[in-house]
Amino acid sequence: MKAFGNIHPSVLMMYFLSVMLVSMFASNPIIQAEALFGGALFCLCIQKRGTALRDAGFYISLFLMVAVTNPLFSHNGKTPLFFLNGNPVTLEALLCGVSIAVMVIGVLLWCKCYSEIMTSDKFLYLFGRIIPKLSLVLSMALRFIPAYIRQSRRVSRAQKAMGLYSGKSISDRVRNRMRVLTAMISWSLENAMDVSASMKARGYGQKKRTDFSIFRFQRSDCALFAVCIVLLSVPLVGMAAGVTDFTYYPGISRIETSPAAVAVYAAFGALSVLPSVLEAKEAIIWKYYVSKI
Amino acid sequence: MKKDILTVFGLVLILTVLFSGTHIQSVDEYYLTHIDDIRPESETVTLSIRCDTILENYDELDPALRSDEYVPSDGVILPPTEYVLREGDTVFDILDRAVRYNKIQMEFQGSEESPFGSVYIEGIHYLYEFSCGPLSGWMYRVDGEFPNYGCSRYELHDGQVIEWVYTCDLGSDVGAGWNEYSGGQRK
Repeated sequence: MKAFGNIHPSVLMMYFLSVMLVSMFASNPIIQAEALFGGALFCLCIQKRGTALRDAGFYISLFLMVAVTNPLFSHNGKTPLFFLNGNPVTLEALLCGVSIAVMVIGVLLWCKCYSEIMTSDKFLYLFGRIIPKLSLVLSMALRFIPAYIRQSRRVSRAQKAMGLYSGKSISDRVRNRMRVLTAMISWSLENAMDVSASMKARGYGQKKRTDFSIFRFQRSDCALFAVCIVLLSVPLVGMAAGVTDFTYYPGISRIETSPAAVAVYAAFGALSVLPSVLEAKEAIIWKYYVSKI
Repeated sequence: MKKDILTVFGLVLILTVLFSGTHIQSVDEYYLTHIDDIRPESETVTLSIRCDTILENYDELDPALRSDEYVPSDGVILPPTEYVLREGDTVFDILDRAVRYNKIQMEFQGSEESPFGSVYIEGIHYLYEFSCGPLSGWMYRVDGEFPNYGCSRYELHDGQVIEWVYTCDLGSDVGAGWNEYSGGQRK
């Protein structure tokens, strides 16, 4: 079920970049919450159920870490909660930390969706011609972490089979990780060399060579592109005009509720749930057809 | 199992080392600072905190701070007040005591974190370094002169006058001599 994945890569790229950039640079909590909500929803749509629960643990601990770190280093704000070594720990700094954490996790979730949807063939299709070297490096870097996890599981299994540090205790597990890590470092260096050498051997990046691709810019892509542009332009104009400005220091400002600001929230909210809606539509059509059989 | 106990012990040790250096105070405790009463025989210094230069560079000020609440219209955050000098007090000690007593917000970087080996005042009364242009921040003046070193290394004597002033131009708008000197060379 990847209705969104069948859209033309250029539209996808534009979509992901716009959502991530807006959510990164907007300091408004409503926009950040919308980005987080949209990213989480889409992640749930395209992922297996089991992984979502495991990921939630990671994201919640990351959220707490980021949220707590900010007030420890930033002491500005009108409402002190308590004093740490003579410097105030304030409510404003804590809330600012929460907002940073929401933003970071929202962007992380969108990056996760991106790597699920924008596979390296799509990325290379878009940029392989214009910037061959950089796009190869980028696509390798983007698939690095999943590939790394896969390979590290393989190494760890092999080590277990050899009976090295296979105990259940924490220190055994830590030492096992360390051994795997050293093996992984040399693997990743070697792997990068191998990939670039084999791509070169296949004539990648040469001007006269043509590539096979199955992507065609269809009318539905065109429509989606237009929708994205319209939905993106509203928050961009709004942010440039400062209607959704929000400050945490020294006092927390009021959340803007003027019609212009509401339009920005609505447009960005629609933009961030767009892929989930497309997925849901596809799922409903599928269920409908299945029920007819 | 034995190894696990060792790991947990190690973790607890690290945490205690981390937390033993921190000192936590409640809000009331922090503001409940004892200011000695001025008696005829006690040594005193005068302290004031001002931010007049911001009023002249109001267009450079961070929009979130553009209010009478943060920048008083006369530029006075703390009018000249006499404080009793205790043995070995530095400029920072007096400032710390005064802002606590008057409930003025202040953020500083401790001497162990600062590269200058002295306390660095990042902000007073929500006005921070860089709040009013890239060359802005807090400076202090003792008896009309700007000592070119950190405030926790300046030991005070009886009758000295300390002024904390906000500069928007690396000190040249409040009359810091060392900066004018380099300006003169450029001409």
